[in-house]
Amino acid sequence: LTFSNSATPDDIAVVGWAQTPSVRRALENEVQLLVPTVAAALARAGLDRREIGFTCAGSCDYLTGGPFAFVQNLEAAGAWPPIAESHVEMDGAWALYEAWVRLQHGDIDTALVFGSGKSSPSSPAELWPQQLDPYYLAPLGVDPASLAALQARALLDSGTATERDFAEVVARSRRAALDNPCAQVKGHLDVDALLAEPYVRAPLRRHDLPPISDGAVAVVLARGDRARALAERPVWIRGIDHRIEVHQPGMRDLTASPSTALAARKAGYDGGPLDVAELSCTFSPQEIVLRAALGLAPATAVNPSGGPLAANPVMATGLVRIVEVAQRIAAGTADRGLAHATGGQVLQHNLVCLMEGEG
Amino acid sequence: MEHLVSLTYTEELTPILERYVDAMMEGRIVGHKCPECGRVYVPGKGYCPLCVVATGAEHEVEVADTGTVTGFTIVTPVAYYGQKETEPFVWASVLLDGADGTLAGQDIVGIAHDEIRSGLRVRAIWKPKERRSAEGVSNRGWGGVGAAIEAFEPTGEPDMPREQYEEHIF
Repeated sequence: LTFSNSATPDDIAVVGWAQTPSVRRALENEVQLLVPTVAAALARAGLDRREIGFTCAGSCDYLTGGPFAFVQNLEAAGAWPPIAESHVEMDGAWALYEAWVRLQHGDIDTALVFGSGKSSPSSPAELWPQQLDPYYLAPLGVDPASLAALQARALLDSGTATERDFAEVVARSRRAALDNPCAQVKGHLDVDALLAEPYVRAPLRRHDLPPISDGAVAVVLARGDRARALAERPVWIRGIDHRIEVHQPGMRDLTASPSTALAARKAGYDGGPLDVAELSCTFSPQEIVLRAALGLAPATAVNPSGGPLAANPVMATGLVRIVEVAQRIAAGTADRGLAHATGGQVLQHNLVCLMEGEG
Repeated sequence: MEHLVSLTYTEELTPILERYVDAMMEGRIVGHKCPECGRVYVPGKGYCPLCVVATGAEHEVEVADTGTVTGFTIVTPVAYYGQKETEPFVWASVLLDGADGTLAGQDIVGIAHDEIRSGLRVRAIWKPKERRSAEGVSNRGWGGVGAAIEAFEPTGEPDMPREQYEEHIF
């Protein structure tokens, strides 16, 4: 394992966070979800918004349903007096990546990151084909569930997994979510009963799909001594990297995730022990793909929050993974963890963030 | 290759906008007054974007249906996909008395286009109650009063001096 023993003055840590509960339909609009969430993350870090050196947000205008909708989200951070900020049309985990890169310049010590999305106003099956190439795939209306079903079929055909394996992922995720106040769907499920359910996109059943969620999440980052001053146990980011594969799913082996494996290696992960891993498997078969890509040991707790199968606030889901790992390390219930975020279709683009507590 | 895409979004108005629309049905325009800086937002946002403090029903205030044109454009429409207008029309920003931000995209009637000017005092022409609706009011911050107010017309008062509205152009 390539984790270092102690943080250097230039290391970056997670020192504050907050998330909304994921719900099927939030009454508030996206910025109204963000206002209290950003405020709570800053409060946890003990920072005033005017002390933040850089702000970066992740959201999707197609999802919100308005051109330049992301601009209004910035009001949750307060943009007067003027601030230095940026936005990614990506999951908030990539906003965190941009903030982490920005902090490498060394001239600022703090950053605020957030991600938000409301999936309730639109139809995922109608909306998400629009992220595919406009010539071959988008006109077909291929939705995420259909692509995930192709991936699941590839896993079954290759003998890598069974439908029972998928159902066991779901049962464990929903059970783990019982302890997560922000999770949306949770409970004790019987695997045999799950397997008796009808297909919605063969070989996927409804429970193999994520819930449709509205939600928001915010994170505060700080550097070196500033992080130590702000947090009792700073959650050091030991490495972060993201890698992408070819857009056309037909040109990929959907049973594997080489971009996840490469991102993990570039982030510094060499297969050593991890207490916790939070993975953005928005469809149950993807947990099997990601476990294999990362080479996770059986001792690693995977998605103790319930993961995206219990709450999937799109554009926040990946940043929530970082928060779920960070809060366990900050609380001392874990020392080392890995968070994974994904974008694009069927695990096309993957980010890995390694975090560790000291002492 | 023609490839037109349409996406459907369905949602309820936020609780703040529901109150806003209910008031407009009765001929009242309401907003939120920031408890810190005192600025009035129409409709209320649920927070003050400058002070970043939450606002709620307890911060609701009524503003007048009279105001001042702070800026305007006379749009000469060209034919593009979706354009329904064929004649030049007004797109004016109106600062309601008691509000700190303008209503964008308002029509000004009862005055020649070449006499419309910044500072012009105007009053709302309300639609009859039975024709008012929530149409055009959306959670995304677009829309405004168009489903309850037909247009604005000059009041005949002297123009508002520039220094009284220049901090409230948009």
